[in-house]
Amino acid sequence: MVSELSDIRSFLEHTAPFDALDRDTLVSAVRRVTVRYYRSGEEILASGGHNEHLYVVRSGSVELRLAGDDLTAHLDAGSCFAFPSLLRGGEVRNTTVALEDTLAYLLPGDLFRELRQKSTAFRDFFAENESARIRNAVRDLKSRHSSLLGQRSIRELLTHRRPVSCNPNTLVSDAATLMSHHDVSTLAICANDKLVGIFTDKDLRNRVVATGRSFDTPISAVMTPAPCTLPESANISEAMAMMAAGGFRHIPLLGPDGELFAILSATDILAHLGDSAIDTGMLVARAATPEALVAAAERIPEGFTRMDAGGFHAEHTMRFTSALGEAVHRRAAELAEAELGPPPVPYALMVFGSLARGEQLVGSDQDNGLVIDDRVDAAGRAYFEALGTRISDTLHQAGFVYCNGGIMARNADQRLTLGEWQSRYDDWIDNPDEDKILRATIFFDMRVVHGRLEVERDLRGYVLEKVASNRLFLSYLARDAQRSRIPLGIFRNLVLEKTADGTKGFDAKAQAILPLIAIARTFALSEGISAVGTLERLAALAAAGRMAKGDAESLKDAFLLVNELRIAHQAAQLRRAKAPDNVIDPASLSPLERDYLKDAFSVIRGGLESLKRNLAGGIA
Amino acid sequence: MREALRSWRFARGLKACAAKGDPLLAHYAQADWPGADTPIGDASLLALDFELDGLAGNAHVLQAGWLTFDARGIDLGTARSFDVKSVRRLDDDAVAVHGIGEQRARAGDSLGNVVGELVGALAGRVMVAHGASIEREVIVRVTRVHFGIALPVRSICTLALERRLNPNLAGSGAYRLAATRARYGLPAYSQHDALSDALAAGELLLAQLSRMPTDTRLGRLEAL
Repeated sequence: MVSELSDIRSFLEHTAPFDALDRDTLVSAVRRVTVRYYRSGEEILASGGHNEHLYVVRSGSVELRLAGDDLTAHLDAGSCFAFPSLLRGGEVRNTTVALEDTLAYLLPGDLFRELRQKSTAFRDFFAENESARIRNAVRDLKSRHSSLLGQRSIRELLTHRRPVSCNPNTLVSDAATLMSHHDVSTLAICANDKLVGIFTDKDLRNRVVATGRSFDTPISAVMTPAPCTLPESANISEAMAMMAAGGFRHIPLLGPDGELFAILSATDILAHLGDSAIDTGMLVARAATPEALVAAAERIPEGFTRMDAGGFHAEHTMRFTSALGEAVHRRAAELAEAELGPPPVPYALMVFGSLARGEQLVGSDQDNGLVIDDRVDAAGRAYFEALGTRISDTLHQAGFVYCNGGIMARNADQRLTLGEWQSRYDDWIDNPDEDKILRATIFFDMRVVHGRLEVERDLRGYVLEKVASNRLFLSYLARDAQRSRIPLGIFRNLVLEKTADGTKGFDAKAQAILPLIAIARTFALSEGISAVGTLERLAALAAAGRMAKGDAESLKDAFLLVNELRIAHQAAQLRRAKAPDNVIDPASLSPLERDYLKDAFSVIRGGLESLKRNLAGGIA
Repeated sequence: MREALRSWRFARGLKACAAKGDPLLAHYAQADWPGADTPIGDASLLALDFELDGLAGNAHVLQAGWLTFDARGIDLGTARSFDVKSVRRLDDDAVAVHGIGEQRARAGDSLGNVVGELVGALAGRVMVAHGASIEREVIVRVTRVHFGIALPVRSICTLALERRLNPNLAGSGAYRLAATRARYGLPAYSQHDALSDALAAGELLLAQLSRMPTDTRLGRLEAL
């Protein structure tokens, strides 16, 4: 006798979490299924009732109405429901209604429990709550991408050589002899076992020989004092980010007590990485002309795809890509200054949005502006107009295209004095309205990447202090975040958007990342937290006890998960020579990834609800 | 009037079964048969499909598949599917459609066994099929051969029911099983597998019943 029911088996084989079961288990499970049909509008489970089945939607869709809440969730083909009631012994809390004509497969509760016993994947999938599910998801993705660099500490790639060092009073000639004797290109300068400076072959060339200085000069006069350092426990991507952002090739590593441990060179990483990702940072920092800078910046997407292929974690890919972006911005400003002459008054180049948060991927447009010392005169303004225009033009060439919304230094309203910026922020904060907030949220993520004006204290500090005490403004921000709300259908059903070329997908940036950023930003601003990055904000909120630790972690996991998917998506597009975007076709995801994504959305949903409850104060 | 006539004929057929002296037929005759005025929700049903090697009146049965169910749902644990043993050289076209090769047909169950299983399962149940007259005729033909009697069968035809629920659809294709299922949002199943088609017909009836009053009487559906 052949009784295969192969249609149902093959459907389950492609549906999480049944796809994790072995074939025999699946075949015998199919024989315990009951098939039911529900007409559109029909109630499937009633809140307060009793349930003894796991439901799998085969066709059509259903709506969960969460008891005691006005939340709803839409589930379509391949989704499971009613498992929370099985987990808690049958008590049904959510009313479930067929939204369309729906065919459902029902698995008896005892089979559900058997499968949970039998399969870890099955059990993980039906973890008690969304947070646990999404944590499992991130863990899965991480192990699948078996990250090389994100997890690996730099210590591992050092063939440990004790760094060659001398004290600050050593004469240049002796230092050079020492370097030559030990065949090193970098010398650590230590006083009382503490690192005070670093001296390289290049310094010997540029600061001693080329300037005709005496070889009897003490090394302390020509060393680079107070170099950037990392703890030896740091990971490779952090070191790469630091090198790329700073345009240098050596980083002293410090031990647990701050003692000099080793000097990490770019070559150490390159040898490990086998490609020239860091070279991009070097090329950017060294670019002598806008053309050279553009050529260097053109290598960023390639480095991005390599990071994806190399198994970088989303966090590190974003950080590294942002570091390169920052370096390009800085160099663009330096080259503009070189062309136009030194600025008449101090100024700062400020970036907003993803670059400020250190969360940039590829294909971003520019969001920047100049903060100019208040003493600037008319001639000075003309200088900064030329400077801002040069910077924007160079960035545009370099792949940071002109901003549609005009948030860039080539526009007059993005070249303001410190006082003018303050007035602008005053207006946003003191007289908020929907339209202004819509345009202004991006300005609350800001960072100076170049310049000699004290903006961090005078502007950021000013804004932070002002915002934290203005509940009305915060309520507008909280309400604005709801604007990028997850459409009702997205909670358990991916709502698809059409892209320019007519294909359908979901917009990972608009529908997931922007709401997450808004949640972290609004809560952080309400607490006067100065961190700018989304993950840093969440961590700071949790550390300050302003957000439940579990909630902060769930939001972090959701943020990382969606960014993992975005990065993989964009890297795939770049490999096909397509312009990167954020519209992901759910069909390109595995059933498990799709389901995890739905969990991420429900976490985001929860965050938005919390924002509404805590800060929207009656106007949302 | 027609309903009464049908009931009378069915009762007469059961009497003839009982008189045959075969235990299986006696079991069939004595089953708890639902009355014509039974609400459909209380009736026991059996979705059935045969795969045949042609359309002629003497076509061979290659495969039989069925499952029992009621208006509340289909229990897949009751699903049965048989390849029917055949030594006849198979019609090439039928082989192409059904994918059942001669080797597999030789390894199948004897038609007698399959008929016995079916009669046992059908006792007290109303057969459901898409285009039920074909399945009815096959049952009559094979029970004549194996029991010397035409088994009385009660049936609901989902195709006829669909013509009443959605009359005047253009083209005969509109009433085919797959097209009809699609109108109710039912998924596409692989066709030309007896069990798949039986399940497809059973699901279709559930979908059709969702468009009808819950107290619709059995007799009204059988009358189609």
